[in-house]
Amino acid sequence: MDNLEKYNSIFTEVFGVKPEVLDASFSKDNVELWDSVHQLNLVTLAEESFDVMFDPEDIMAFISYEAGKEILRRQDVEI
Amino acid sequence: MLIDIDKWEADRIAAIDSDGTQLTYGQIRALAELIEHSMPAHSLLFLLTENNVGGIAWVMASILAGQVPLILNAHTEPALLGTLTNTYLPEYIVAPAAMAEVQTEPIVADEFGYRLRATGAPHAKLNNELSHLLPTSGSTGSPKLVRHKYDNIEAAALNISTFFGLTEADRPLMVLPLHYTMGLSMVFSHLKVGATLLITDRKMTDTEFWALLKQATSFTGVPFSFELLDKMRFMRMKLPNLKLLTQGGGKMPADLNLKYAEYCRDNGKDWIATYGQSEGSARMAWLPPEYAISKMGSIGIAVPNGRLSIRDLDGNEIPESPAEGEMCYEGRNVTMGYARCREDLALGDERHGFLPTGDIAYRDADGFYFIKGRMGRFLKLYGNRVGLDECENILKAHITCECACSGDDTKLLIYLSDAAQADVAKERLMEAIKVPATAIEVRVIDSLPRNEAGKILYSKLN
Repeated sequence: MDNLEKYNSIFTEVFGVKPEVLDASFSKDNVELWDSVHQLNLVTLAEESFDVMFDPEDIMAFISYEAGKEILRRQDVEI
Repeated sequence: MLIDIDKWEADRIAAIDSDGTQLTYGQIRALAELIEHSMPAHSLLFLLTENNVGGIAWVMASILAGQVPLILNAHTEPALLGTLTNTYLPEYIVAPAAMAEVQTEPIVADEFGYRLRATGAPHAKLNNELSHLLPTSGSTGSPKLVRHKYDNIEAAALNISTFFGLTEADRPLMVLPLHYTMGLSMVFSHLKVGATLLITDRKMTDTEFWALLKQATSFTGVPFSFELLDKMRFMRMKLPNLKLLTQGGGKMPADLNLKYAEYCRDNGKDWIATYGQSEGSARMAWLPPEYAISKMGSIGIAVPNGRLSIRDLDGNEIPESPAEGEMCYEGRNVTMGYARCREDLALGDERHGFLPTGDIAYRDADGFYFIKGRMGRFLKLYGNRVGLDECENILKAHITCECACSGDDTKLLIYLSDAAQADVAKERLMEAIKVPATAIEVRVIDSLPRNEAGKILYSKLN
C-alpha cells in the first residue's frame, strides 16, 4: 500500500466513507461527523500508520484532509 | 437560601466562560428574582443549555426562583425534544437566543443570551419538593427523567465540597454538560463555597480549551475526557495552577488510570476517582488520593454523610468483608425516583434515601469498593451511556431481519442475520448514537440464540 492509500484508509475507517469522497473539501467545516473524537481518532491512526508523533499544535491543526497531508509532510512523510 | 448562595458579595465572580463572559453571584440572584416574578410559582420549564455562563445563570436562577427546570442539552435531537415536549408539556421554554428565532411564542425574558418563552401549556401539578429534572439518556431517546428535590442539591453540594476540600479560591474547569448530573453537581458544590467556575463548550482540539485549563485549579472528567487529554499530550504541558484531577462516569482503563495516578503523584497533584449516578445526584463514592495507586481500580468509600452496602440477591445486607453483590447507597442525595409522564411529576419521594445501584461490586477486606459489572444492559461508549435495548429498538425501525446489540465499553456489537442489511444497520446506529464507525462492529450470524421463551441469550452471543 502506498502512502496515499494508507492515508486514505485512515479516513475511510474513521468516517465510514468511500475513498472517492476524499478531496480538498473534506474538512471539519464540511463534514458533519467531524468532531474532536473523530479528529483524535484520525491523529492516532495517522501516528500509528506512519510511525510519527504529533505535537498538540499539530493535533489542533488537523482539521481537514489537506491539512493532515501538510502536517505529515512536516514530519517528512510525502503523500 | 439554597446552598447559601446569598452568602457571597454581589460582585464576586461565579463563572467565566470561553468567550470571557463573567457572571457574578449578584447576577444569579437578580435573575432568580426576575424569573420568580415572570411566571406562576413552581412552573415546569424546559431549559436548553449550552456550556456557557448563561447556562449556569439560568439553571441556578430557575431553581432558586422555585421554578422546576428539565435541564437539557441545547443540541438535543429534535425527535427526542419533540417526544419530551409532547410527554411533559412544559409551560415555559428557555433556549439560547441564537436558536430561538424559529419559535413564535411571546418572549417573556431575554437574559445572558437565552430567551424565555411561554408555551401556553396548562399549569403542571408538581410535587412541592421537586427542584429539577434530568434526562436519563442523552442519546438514545428515552423520555424517562430523574426527579430531584431541593434536599438533594443541599446534600450533593455539602458532600462533594467536603471530600474535595473545596474553597472560594478554587477555579474548576467544567467541560461536562449542565444536563449531566456530574456537571451539575460541580456547579452546586462550587457555588456553595463561593468559588469561580470556568465553563467551556470547546473541545480539547481547540486552543481556547487549553487557555482555560492553564488558569484552572481542578479538572473533572469522565474516562473518555482523560483519554482525550492524554492523546493531546496533556502530561507534557506545564500546568502549575492545576492541583486536582477528578474522574467519574465509569471505570478508567487500568493502564490509563495508573498513568494519571503516577503523573499526579510525581507532579504534586491529587488524583481522585469517584463513582456516582444521576439517581444519586452524582457522587456517591470517592477514592481518597493517598490510595490512588495502592487501591487503583477501586471507587473507594462512601462520600461524607453517605453509606454504601453490599446486598445479596434477596436484598439482605452482607456486613462482613470481603463481600460481593449489588452495591446499595443511602444518603440525602438519593433522588425521589423517575418520571415517565407528566402526572409522575406530582409523585413524592419513592426511594426514601435508599438506592440499589444496579451495579455488582466487590468490597475488599479494607472496606474499599470495586465495581465488577452492571446488572442492566448499558455500555459507556465515548463517555455516553448507551442503552443496548434502546439501540435494538432503533435498529428495528430500519432493518427487517432479527438483530441484537451487545458489546463492552470499547465497542458496540450488532448481531444480525442478514449480511445485506449490515451497512444500513451500522449507518443508522452511528447516526443515532453519534460515535465513530470504529466503535461499532456488525457480526452476521445465522440466527440469534434464544431460550424457550424466545428471549435472546446474550451470554451465548460472544
